[in-house]
Amino acid sequence: MKSNIPLIFEKGFDGEQQSFVPQMDVDMVDLNEILPENLQRKDLPIPNIPEVDIIRHFINLSLRNYGVDTGIYPLGSCTMKYNPKVNEVVAKLPGFTFIHPLQEESEGCLELLYHLSKLLGELTGMDGFTLQPAAGAHGELVGLLIMKKYFEIKGLKKQKIIVPDSAHGTNPASAKMAGFSIIELKSNEHGEVPLDQLEFAMLEGDIAGIMLTNPNTLGIFDKQIKDITRIVHDNGGLCYYDGANLNPMLGICRPRDMGFDIVHLNLHKTFSTPHGGGGPGSGPIGVVNELIPFLPEPCLISTKQGIACREKNDVSIGRIKAFWGNFGVIIRAYAYILALGAEGLKKVAQIAVLNANYLKVQLQQKYYLPYNRVCQHEFVLSDQGMPNNVTTEDIAKRILDFGIYAPTIYFPLIIPGALMIEPTETESKQSLDYFVEVMNQIYDEAKSNSVLLRNAPHNTPVKRLDAVLAARKPVLHD
Amino acid sequence: MDYEFPDHLKYTSTHEWIRFENNIATVGITDYAQHQLGDIVFVELPEVGMVFEKGSNAAEIESVKAVGDLIMPLSGEIIEINENLADNPELVNSSPFGEGWMIRIKYSHLDEKDDLLSSEEYKQILQKEIH
Amino acid sequence: MNFVPHDNKTIAEMLNIIGANSLKELFQDIPKDLFIENFNLPSGLSESDLLNQLKELSQKNKVYSSSFLGAGCYYHYIPSLVDFVTSRSEFYTSYTPYQAEASQGYLQAIYEYQTIISRLTQMDIANASMYDGSTALAEAAVMASIITGKNSIILIKGIHPEYEEVVRTYCWGQNINIETEIIENLEDKLNNKVAAILFQNPNFFGDIEDIFKITKIVRDKCPDCLIIQVMTDPTCLGILKPPGDTDIDIFVAEGQSFGINPSFGGPGLGIFTAKQKYLRKMPGRLIGKTKEIEGQKEGFLLTLQAREQHIRREKASSNICTNQALCSLAALVYLLAMGRTGLKEVALQNFQKAHFVKKELSKIHGYEILNKKPTYNEFLVKCPNIKALIKQCKQQNLQPPLDISRYYPEMKNVVLVCVTEMNSKDSIDTFIKIAQSISNDKMEVE
Repeated sequence: MKSNIPLIFEKGFDGEQQSFVPQMDVDMVDLNEILPENLQRKDLPIPNIPEVDIIRHFINLSLRNYGVDTGIYPLGSCTMKYNPKVNEVVAKLPGFTFIHPLQEESEGCLELLYHLSKLLGELTGMDGFTLQPAAGAHGELVGLLIMKKYFEIKGLKKQKIIVPDSAHGTNPASAKMAGFSIIELKSNEHGEVPLDQLEFAMLEGDIAGIMLTNPNTLGIFDKQIKDITRIVHDNGGLCYYDGANLNPMLGICRPRDMGFDIVHLNLHKTFSTPHGGGGPGSGPIGVVNELIPFLPEPCLISTKQGIACREKNDVSIGRIKAFWGNFGVIIRAYAYILALGAEGLKKVAQIAVLNANYLKVQLQQKYYLPYNRVCQHEFVLSDQGMPNNVTTEDIAKRILDFGIYAPTIYFPLIIPGALMIEPTETESKQSLDYFVEVMNQIYDEAKSNSVLLRNAPHNTPVKRLDAVLAARKPVLHD
Repeated sequence: MDYEFPDHLKYTSTHEWIRFENNIATVGITDYAQHQLGDIVFVELPEVGMVFEKGSNAAEIESVKAVGDLIMPLSGEIIEINENLADNPELVNSSPFGEGWMIRIKYSHLDEKDDLLSSEEYKQILQKEIH
Repeated sequence: MNFVPHDNKTIAEMLNIIGANSLKELFQDIPKDLFIENFNLPSGLSESDLLNQLKELSQKNKVYSSSFLGAGCYYHYIPSLVDFVTSRSEFYTSYTPYQAEASQGYLQAIYEYQTIISRLTQMDIANASMYDGSTALAEAAVMASIITGKNSIILIKGIHPEYEEVVRTYCWGQNINIETEIIENLEDKLNNKVAAILFQNPNFFGDIEDIFKITKIVRDKCPDCLIIQVMTDPTCLGILKPPGDTDIDIFVAEGQSFGINPSFGGPGLGIFTAKQKYLRKMPGRLIGKTKEIEGQKEGFLLTLQAREQHIRREKASSNICTNQALCSLAALVYLLAMGRTGLKEVALQNFQKAHFVKKELSKIHGYEILNKKPTYNEFLVKCPNIKALIKQCKQQNLQPPLDISRYYPEMKNVVLVCVTEMNSKDSIDTFIKIAQSISNDKMEVE
């Protein structure tokens, strides 16, 4: 059976391909003279396809895809806010796109990087930043390597990291990549880190520190945050802030003031750079003064001659990506911060929290809300008590039928059947009301016609797909 | 509980079952464990000849949304693996105590057998875990 | 500017439904002493002011009319349709396609990307992308250590120096030992503790190695050892023998050359491919083809997710989550636009034009080509006066080649020249004339 849109490779023709490259204008020699025949390839199984067919193919594919520009994208912990169009224009200025990373005349780029570091420092309270990491998880790795180096230089053996069970999956995976083992801490009945257990865990002695997100993945601000960071510091550990959930804190409070030593930010979440269907992102790392020497290379400083790279030192963790980070992403975040300014950013946080609570109070009338408190940027429902044992997956798939995207499902792991909802500040009241209407209708359908949910979606280009078959007999290309 | 617990097998609290024949132990995961994982899509088995301590991970069992470990119930050498699972991982779901077996061990410490659970003991542990 | 759609009346209505008196009340869990009263950020800007400010900033960078600089980041022609497709906001404003049924368009595109990359490289499997070439190489090294259970890696000299540093950082994190060796010493250094050898081809200095020689040495001496190849400009694959024909275990590359602007070095595209048998140890997202559960239509989804961090957590072989999806879409459209004919043409022009420059330079007194092996679009030249060469290039609006002492301080007066299809005959003639003038007129020495 065929999918609706045939793979592009089935459109091949034998005609002459349109030429995009300049006419060859230098004298050629016989290729065999400059490349021995045994190093040349025999065939190249890539079709020639007319431009018009390529364009139609991708336009048709784009029509089967959903983005923030299509409608509400309430994917929890992903902060799918509107991506301002002026940022796309800015990032495509020739004075940025055509700049080589190794060219000398790049003051504009260096100034932008340096200035953005300063702005992020102001927003988070951190003393120094690197914009090198290409994504949030990449930033986590950098932050943990900084911890590793910090203790290595001090001559201390610290081999474990504490991660609460509500953490993003990248946290434990990153800690492992930096050579640490994990101690998982169970959240208490309020979804917070239990102080007594934290103290007990710290007594083990070889704990390098803790990784936390606050507000946590339940959307709850941990009131005891200062006690948590104090306990870790008192026992010689460092505190790492997973900034995936920074959006509701902009201009409200700062990770540094909560007691954190290392912070990563997701520019593709909080600072509105488009997620691109999975990337590219950018995951800057901010640190307190004491950790600045450990930041990766290259590290920018301001000198009398302008912005320059710090001299290489012995304690930096080294290089973590070629060249200068995902500069094209960084430009967009910089433009976003400049456009919004102090008051605009604070409004982002306020309205993100307003929108989340607005959805929460209405949805909790029908859906089960395990942690019933004022939430910050997001909240988590569960399929517990759904009529006719309708599951979270059924709900999510049915949501798609209404032409909107589903929330994050089955995460955080501490809530079975979790539905994690983050509307962001850029959704209008009308858009939120529509989401509530859809969710209420789905609940009623679960009662009256649950088969409709179990077989959902019905209005999408394909129906529910067989993930088991895909994993048992992987087909990864044609 | 709607799970099977054949009486003639031994069990562990980490959801392995063990069958003894002629000083050889055959090991798989229990009906409860396969239910928890859901549709099994891949089983990564150890190589024949490898030697493991009791309690170490000998195999990994993947479903679409989860990963489980097969933990050695006894110390010893792997003398046979169920090659069938490479192409038919679903056997673990359809026949956890039969065709879905995973490894055969030549065990080295007789006294470790005493730590294994009877079907009744395993059932009780499970009841506590679920509630 | 801000992008919040509510007016004050709406905010009041919503607060009323929530049952809160003020916005501030929604932050009641935050301890009072943590609130910041004011912070030192500039006020917001209008769109036009923002645009002017950033235009001004971008003009502090120099855009050259033609470039002889490569070294891991390349100027190739990008067909107009690439930007047109990646600017469709159904693509670029979407998230990782967790809900497959609402993301079939992108999933199919990435499946097509995996297909075209495996065809181009002739490797069994390609993932949906890594951050860039350098991190792809580092993750490949870590993956080899996990597969073999060994913790020693040999790097062959000629890997991009920044890539080598990245590999060192990642491997330090996981306590993997690294040694760098010249290729001639490989045979002596191999032993059964080695998890993998890493090499770049064409290498940083431009040399094209005979890969069969390398694979034979490794297979004879250490059959379990993985052979990992990296490439910084894969446009050469239009003509060069693909890694899949040469017994490479893992092949990674920087895909920036495929339709992605330099943008000061990022975002790029980490191409990651491997032999089939390593599938379940691969890092990164994979898109698979499947069928409807109750239907006959084919569809696409994220598959083999049990390898990844969100399920396996600390047992995952990598922490990668966000990748470079939009860049892989750009690469797909680029490769399709060029087609078989265009890809061969690009590779041919790079070979021929670079060879032409190489030949012309070698005729000038005082210039020496240091490469003894075949080269693609880059090569090393020893020149009589590097400072004057660079200065005059700039004066003539040519981006000068790389002074290689940036990475190898011991290599004085050597430049790494890059010539692509973008270098017109005129720009090449200007460059050659500059070289000649410095050779002839030694008085220009500063």
